[in-house]
Amino acid sequence: MLDFSLTSMLSSLFLLAEEAAPAAEGISWIALLNQALNGIGIVGILLLTGLGLAITFGVMRIINLAHGEFIMLGAYVTFVMQDFFKMDLLMTIPFAFIGTALIGAIVELTIIRRLYGRPLETLLATWGLSIVLQGVVKLIFTAELKYVRAPSYLSGNLSFLTNEAGTSPIAISYYRLFIIAVALALLALTMFLFYGTSWGRQIRAVTQNREMAKCLGVNTKLIDMGTFAYGCGLAGVAGAVISALKTVAPPMGQDYLVDAWMVVVTGGVDKLIGILAGSFLIGESNAIIAFMLNDPLARVIVLAAVIVLIRYRPEGLFTVQKRA
Amino acid sequence: MANAVLGYKQSTFPTKLVIISLIGLLIFAVLPFVLGTFQLSFLSKLMLFGTLAVSLDLVWGFTGILSFAHGVFFTLGGYASAYYLKLNLSAAANTYGVDIPDFMVWNGLEVLPWFIAPLKYFPIALLATVAVPALFAYIIGYFIFRSKVSGVYITIITLAIASALTTFFVSQQAYTGGTNGITDVSSLSFFGSEIPPIGLYFIILAYAAFVLALSWWLTQSNFGLVLRSINENEKRIAFLGYDVAQYKIFIWTLSAAMAGMAGGLFVPLNRFISPVYLAVAFGTQVVIWVAIGGRGTLIGPFIAAILLGQFQNYADRVTQDWQLIVGILLLVVVLFIPNGLMSLLPERFSLANLSKPTRISPRAPSEQKS
Repeated sequence: MLDFSLTSMLSSLFLLAEEAAPAAEGISWIALLNQALNGIGIVGILLLTGLGLAITFGVMRIINLAHGEFIMLGAYVTFVMQDFFKMDLLMTIPFAFIGTALIGAIVELTIIRRLYGRPLETLLATWGLSIVLQGVVKLIFTAELKYVRAPSYLSGNLSFLTNEAGTSPIAISYYRLFIIAVALALLALTMFLFYGTSWGRQIRAVTQNREMAKCLGVNTKLIDMGTFAYGCGLAGVAGAVISALKTVAPPMGQDYLVDAWMVVVTGGVDKLIGILAGSFLIGESNAIIAFMLNDPLARVIVLAAVIVLIRYRPEGLFTVQKRA
Repeated sequence: MANAVLGYKQSTFPTKLVIISLIGLLIFAVLPFVLGTFQLSFLSKLMLFGTLAVSLDLVWGFTGILSFAHGVFFTLGGYASAYYLKLNLSAAANTYGVDIPDFMVWNGLEVLPWFIAPLKYFPIALLATVAVPALFAYIIGYFIFRSKVSGVYITIITLAIASALTTFFVSQQAYTGGTNGITDVSSLSFFGSEIPPIGLYFIILAYAAFVLALSWWLTQSNFGLVLRSINENEKRIAFLGYDVAQYKIFIWTLSAAMAGMAGGLFVPLNRFISPVYLAVAFGTQVVIWVAIGGRGTLIGPFIAAILLGQFQNYADRVTQDWQLIVGILLLVVVLFIPNGLMSLLPERFSLANLSKPTRISPRAPSEQKS
């Protein structure tokens, strides 16, 4: 009756794994390559969603649990623009940025500003904010799923190999390439803003020594507001771009919140480039483990790995060790 | 606590607190005879949520560890009890005979897995309800508190744990029932006779009272004093020679055990358990109860859970957007009433004040001036 064998225990853990890879003929390298290529698509989404958080958490140290909701807001801006003004998805991106950045600025003025230096309170307040934003959007647009169309010139796949049957085992959709391109462009833009402009210099000055920056005539409150709004705007762009990939609904932001946090924590927040490394590591390991086992298990393993990582390197993998 | 510091010789019996608690207990003991069947089980459910909130208050309000994983501990206890109830279904109620639950058959399992089989027996199931969440918490606690990981990162780790476990439980459909969880469980019986809802109510009331009393006793002891010191200045208390990690691990594990038992009692009431209670959203709900009720007040989170639940019940009939109201309430509390709604009560009804020994020497330091 009872099955006490070790194999049953193991199979309990890897039951679905066996189902996912029934043929024990060895790993198909072509399929693995395809999976790795599609992992790039995940990397793009992670990079987009993590970038805004890298600003609000990495630079300003604000624990923003409403980050997902800013992504959701961006998606809704795109939906509205496309639905009412028949705009192309690409055209809606600036509106998504401006719209969410404005809301971000208001949030900073009314909520975040009161809670600087109290991380746990900020965390709670932003969670309250996320509930409120979801509720308000639900009131306006109802809980109904909305759909955003991807531009027609971005449909189709880029294929690298074509076999006899005419299908291509290694392919990536143009839209995923587009996501990557947007993400990389935004990263480059952000890095330019931070390291190449006077505004960026002021932001870095404020994060390094707020009092001193104030003494030197930096308007720290304006900088705080601008930086937070910029981070939220980036989340809005992420939402605009992702909206065509998935359905738009009030709770959609929740799906991205934990992942965005994992990316930021893995990459470390010392350098913005860490976010690229973090999303690459998480996205690709997710894709490859999912290929070898299955999707849910890949997620569990990656999350567990990140937890272990936080335990040993809370400052992230790609942070230069500072001397005390 | 007070007697240790100030050297009182008198009894430390907090008469006022005991009187208030007894009145409260009396009200709860009379309520089931007044309420209808729906409210009876609904109130039982809310008391369990309240107990869960109290367990979180121990680690968050007193020790300063904000956790989104308390829903996880609750649900782990819940699953242990759900397996017990599922395996004890009568043959008539079980589609595929008494040997194996229906959802396992649907997912192609033929033999009851060895790690679930022992849960058929009540003592083992009872032990597992407490021990599984406690052990899980102990492992996590040992892992994170013995490192230099600080406050916010611990919270992010708990978020990740809740998220990962939800995915895991949903994916292991054959063992956990997947998204639906374990449904159609038998009701709890005592030596062959089924326990009526009112019996369950009193069991839950007793458990809630026990958890509140234990938590109060713990936090008023010297142990509680150390916990509060950790919350206020972790470095300093470490310099004084206390092993901070040890204290944190202990309270974390104890709190998980309390949450697990609450989850265990939840299943006979709710008749099912599912990954919904594992998810981050439920963990956040617990955090909201504690934040709104008042951190470090024990009774505050308990009352907040019950009142918010009742409020939700009524609001649901009027509008679908009660969540929005909860969100606004949370924002208002965090921004304007940082110590929670309990702090709006007059000072002399605060837990600290009521916990003081009744007979104070005539020239005791007066609280009014400070």
